[in-house]
Amino acid sequence: MKMYEEGNWPPFRGDYLVGSPKSRIAVVTLASNLHIEGAAISGSCKTENLGVEKIVANIISNSNIRFLLICGAESKGHLPGDSILALHRNGIDENGRIIGSHGAIPFIQNLSAEVINRFRDQFQVLDRIGLEDEKQINLLVKKYSACGEPYPIEPFQVVRRPIKRMDPIIEGGDLLLGAGVIMNTSAWMVLTRGEIVPI
Amino acid sequence: MFRFDNRQQVVNLAGVRFGGQPGEFPTVLCGTIFYQGHNIVQDEDHGVFDRPRAEALVNRQSELSETTGNPVVLHIYGRTSKAFERYLSFADEIWNGPIIIDSADVNTRISMCSLVSELGYADKSIFNSISLATKAHEAVAVKDSEVDSAIVLAFNPTDSSVEGLLRVLQDGTGDKDKGLLDLARDLGIINLLVDPGVVPLGNGSGSALRFSVVFKAKFGLPVGSGIHNAVSAWPWLRKRSREERLCCGAAAAAMQVLSSGDFLLYGPIDYADFIFPAVAMADIMIAEAVKDLDIWPVFEHPFHKLV
Repeated sequence: MKMYEEGNWPPFRGDYLVGSPKSRIAVVTLASNLHIEGAAISGSCKTENLGVEKIVANIISNSNIRFLLICGAESKGHLPGDSILALHRNGIDENGRIIGSHGAIPFIQNLSAEVINRFRDQFQVLDRIGLEDEKQINLLVKKYSACGEPYPIEPFQVVRRPIKRMDPIIEGGDLLLGAGVIMNTSAWMVLTRGEIVPI
Repeated sequence: MFRFDNRQQVVNLAGVRFGGQPGEFPTVLCGTIFYQGHNIVQDEDHGVFDRPRAEALVNRQSELSETTGNPVVLHIYGRTSKAFERYLSFADEIWNGPIIIDSADVNTRISMCSLVSELGYADKSIFNSISLATKAHEAVAVKDSEVDSAIVLAFNPTDSSVEGLLRVLQDGTGDKDKGLLDLARDLGIINLLVDPGVVPLGNGSGSALRFSVVFKAKFGLPVGSGIHNAVSAWPWLRKRSREERLCCGAAAAAMQVLSSGDFLLYGPIDYADFIFPAVAMADIMIAEAVKDLDIWPVFEHPFHKLV
């Protein structure tokens, strides 16, 4: 079984460093910029919604990783560390809100319940929020980097949802460009003498 | 470059005007001071900072405003209420224009509202922000204060499309059973400034630009954004030179202006020297472009000052 897609992992871009994809541990350093050695992937996370989504999507696409270490200074107000813990503990409700998160706007937009369940099942979360000592963090990474077995199911690839295309409904314009050209901002269409010019 | 069919509201806040038709009023520029990691701050919790350097930054922003004609707002970020108290005392001595009061911490934001009310600063203060994150006790604090101006953040974590942002403002989403515009009005906010909430490049940052046009076309209220967030959150750019980063920051600012932005939260006040010329240039070009549409720039517009 392939544990991750070589050359294509991690699938989503972000503010992280890829280490050894065969390591059992991933590290999120929250608002701190720390030098981590021996993790599969490590990086910061400052938001309780989009940032958390990217972390989950990237780590479940590698079945080698079984531990997620959360360390570094919490991002004030946003509380992504608290949100990851709550997501792992409780999941999301029908509106996508992370149940029990104290973050400002803790909503998951792009991940299905199936993805969240996979995250909760594949990972053990190590809560070291506030820990910024690189030496201590790297000792933890070393301890868990070869710990346990890979997740026995194939990596989960999160697919970006295609953007919903709108059917233009043109009912006149609300923005004037001059020379008889108008624009309907709802449909984001420019109209000229009855013709429609998509922009 | 265009003219909106509907009436465009102009908000006058301590003499600074936000809104109107594109090309009519110069873009209002809001530079942030004492932000997280600002190198003039020595102790973010207690508000200890390098006063001469802070003063120089505020004065530089004012000088550039006088030169270009772009009005300014001082965006004060406070990590704690104690720190904010010191920052406000400093601002009181050297700045008499509007301020944006801002913190990531809800209790600090609550204290800010009561402090500016007690000190008679409420009519110059813009609360940042009314959003989906506004909890009941914060809403009560805003309502009980004398603050009547606020940025309304349209950020929608479950739908970042233009329609999703509009839904947050009109209908509410998540645990809000009404739209944020109505919520803000219920809290006594008269002067509404709307910010789409800019997400990183690749997550839909461009929606903020289209939203700006659509929102003004539908509601006629002033709109603006902190589009520099898209620039600063771009990992690829972070590895490039300072010049390249500043260049992208100035370009993004001009793009927001071109997309009918009335105000710009341009980020660190330290960047004023790079932002003002770019925005003034965009303002002039827009003013020139809409002359045929019967829109005339006001007397203090960069069009009259710089060309």
